[in-house]
Amino acid sequence: MITTNQKTLPSFTPLVSSLSLSPEGDLAAKLNLFLAHPHTTNTKLKPKCLNFQALTSISSYSYPQVKKMGIRFDLFLLSVAILWAPVLSDLVLSKVDRRIDLTSQSVRVTSTLKVENAGTNPVSEVLLAFPDHHAKNLAYLTAITNEGKGKTKGSTVSLPVEVVHPKGMPPALTWYSLSLLKELGKGESVTLDVVAIFTHTLRPFPEEITQAETQLVVFQDSAFYISPYVVKVQSLSVKLPEPKVESYTKLENTKISGSEIKYGPYENLPSFSYTPIAIHFESNKPFAVAQELVREIEISHWGNVQVTEHYNLIHGGAQSKGEFSRLDYQARPHVRGASAFRNLVAKLPPRAHSVYYRDEIGNISTSHLWGDSKKTQLEIEPRYPMFGGWRTSFTIGYGLPLQDFLFQSEGKRFLNISFGCPMNEVVIDNLIVKVVLPEGSGDISVSVPFPVKQWQEAKLSHLDLVGRPVVVLEKTNVVQEHDQHFQVHYKFNNLSLLREPLMLISGFFFLFVTCIIYMHADLTISKSSASYVAKLQWDEVQAAIQQVQNIINRCLTIHDKLEASLRDLSRTGDVQACKAARKAADSYLKELSKELKPLLAFLQSSPQAAQILPKVEDLIAKERELQERLMLKHSTVVDCYEKKLGGREIENRVSSIQQKVTALRQEVDDLLEIIDEI
Amino acid sequence: MAPSVKPISSPVPDAWYPTLALFMLAIGLMVTASFFIYEATSSRRNRSLAKELTTGAVASVFLGFGSLFLLIASGVYV
Repeated sequence: MITTNQKTLPSFTPLVSSLSLSPEGDLAAKLNLFLAHPHTTNTKLKPKCLNFQALTSISSYSYPQVKKMGIRFDLFLLSVAILWAPVLSDLVLSKVDRRIDLTSQSVRVTSTLKVENAGTNPVSEVLLAFPDHHAKNLAYLTAITNEGKGKTKGSTVSLPVEVVHPKGMPPALTWYSLSLLKELGKGESVTLDVVAIFTHTLRPFPEEITQAETQLVVFQDSAFYISPYVVKVQSLSVKLPEPKVESYTKLENTKISGSEIKYGPYENLPSFSYTPIAIHFESNKPFAVAQELVREIEISHWGNVQVTEHYNLIHGGAQSKGEFSRLDYQARPHVRGASAFRNLVAKLPPRAHSVYYRDEIGNISTSHLWGDSKKTQLEIEPRYPMFGGWRTSFTIGYGLPLQDFLFQSEGKRFLNISFGCPMNEVVIDNLIVKVVLPEGSGDISVSVPFPVKQWQEAKLSHLDLVGRPVVVLEKTNVVQEHDQHFQVHYKFNNLSLLREPLMLISGFFFLFVTCIIYMHADLTISKSSASYVAKLQWDEVQAAIQQVQNIINRCLTIHDKLEASLRDLSRTGDVQACKAARKAADSYLKELSKELKPLLAFLQSSPQAAQILPKVEDLIAKERELQERLMLKHSTVVDCYEKKLGGREIENRVSSIQQKVTALRQEVDDLLEIIDEI
Repeated sequence: MAPSVKPISSPVPDAWYPTLALFMLAIGLMVTASFFIYEATSSRRNRSLAKELTTGAVASVFLGFGSLFLLIASGVYV
């Protein structure tokens, strides 16, 4: 409150008696001191300069004193408002309903403003003001307007909100400006819903508690809506997590029912009216604060989006003092350790696979995962329950199918994925989101629905040559409402996908080439030693023998063809074809024997082949004999057919030749095998 | 939403990766085996560089793709 003259603050004892729900006198006195500390409470008013910093520190007064000071205050504010009237636009807030939700660790303020244009000029901007000490913890601010009259709610559109610095306003206020969709004409009114979320605004008091105590927090704000406009009717309702309140400021029109405190309605208050209130209540909701969260999203065009999240959690409530008794905690967790939290639930997208939960020690097995077609729910339990001031750090990772998140439009690809943390009740002090795009991506641009700091890095990962481009987005003070989808656009040529298999292929090919070079390279030091020369000669002999073998094999195939022609003859009776086959075979065999001659000559001349030469000669001789016999047989059979003799006759004549042929064939095969082994 | 938005998925269906990896690696290893058999049994004069290089190239193509699909099937999405 503002004092217009040097006036000492009234003593706190009447204040204590006016508070509800008699707490221990000790605690209440401590609370008042706590609220009064550290600022001074005597401020001399400077005209046209309201010191809001002093306002925050002064605790509330009892009702009669409020009334007395209130009148003086109202008069003063009225004069101030009149003096400042030409500076401000002529909007009037005809109805303001504020609902403050204190059921979690963040403060959610929903204000429904009915803005009316009481002047003559059309207005397209509405100014919102927050005290500085609140505004520095402001995490999320959005304004929604409901198009449509009366009960019919049309489309809800969110309006753009910007930080502005209007001149001539009282200090220690942060200003935001809402741009209306269409200008508000004279006499028109529009209803706006402004949602503001503040983090770290609930201060635990007492600041240190033992395991057996419950956690009490203090919330300070103004019962009147701080606004540059005149407010005709306003009301405030505060919702607490449990119907347990230690103390709260009692002004006129204050009622408490269960876990809700209602202030108001207050009528016809001038602009910049302010009444500090403080509510001291019990909140055992999990105060999970992630001091740093690094989310890494890696895209692989082979079919996977891998998300890895590194958490550094701390319990942001009242610090735990004294010793921790595990026995007490496990026996009665709600009495001994009411403010501690044991598990966190993360809602992952559907079809998430390969989920892991580990920290620096290793895998943490206390987790549950279940999923359906809408979401995959992961419930994790850190290695110990989190009491006030305790920290833990862990990593969660999961893979997502590519087609749910990567899309193609107009020649560019874009990734559409959620920005914030999948856990609902966690407040993040510093969130870093890294999107790792595959190598070969170009033309990268990001579109995020709220302001973030962004820059690019490079990361070397599997099968990379230069590194993958990484887009890093950083944001401080992130709450659950920031868990919206953002897009990263980039260009990628599908052929660049082949770069990875090409790297592997060239790696293997390099190995094969090395092998070839090794086999071809001549690494002997002395090229004229006897053993080297002998080795060379042996190589040549081997080559000659291989060629001999090759020729013999070809001869054998020709023999097989002849036999086949004989069988054909017995089947079809076509003598001419048989004769033609015989002629072809003859000519071919002549060629092969010609090829054989130089090889044989070489083998005879080379000294290394001495051992193997007899076998080779044997082989050639046998093969020749076989050839002759086969030819004899063939001609006999053909003759018989020409003479049209019966089958039995043919067999009789051929049988002896056939026996010899088969025997010789067997011997030739054996010799080939023996030569092979050498 | 005037421009059409199509989801992008991998060029090869996800479920095929392990089977493809197995077959490609098997064929690649067989061709590698034939390469090494040729190297071991051919004598210096009879060796043909073209045959060696082609066998090596075919083997490395199959082995490269096979090892890529093996990496992807085991979860290392390169």
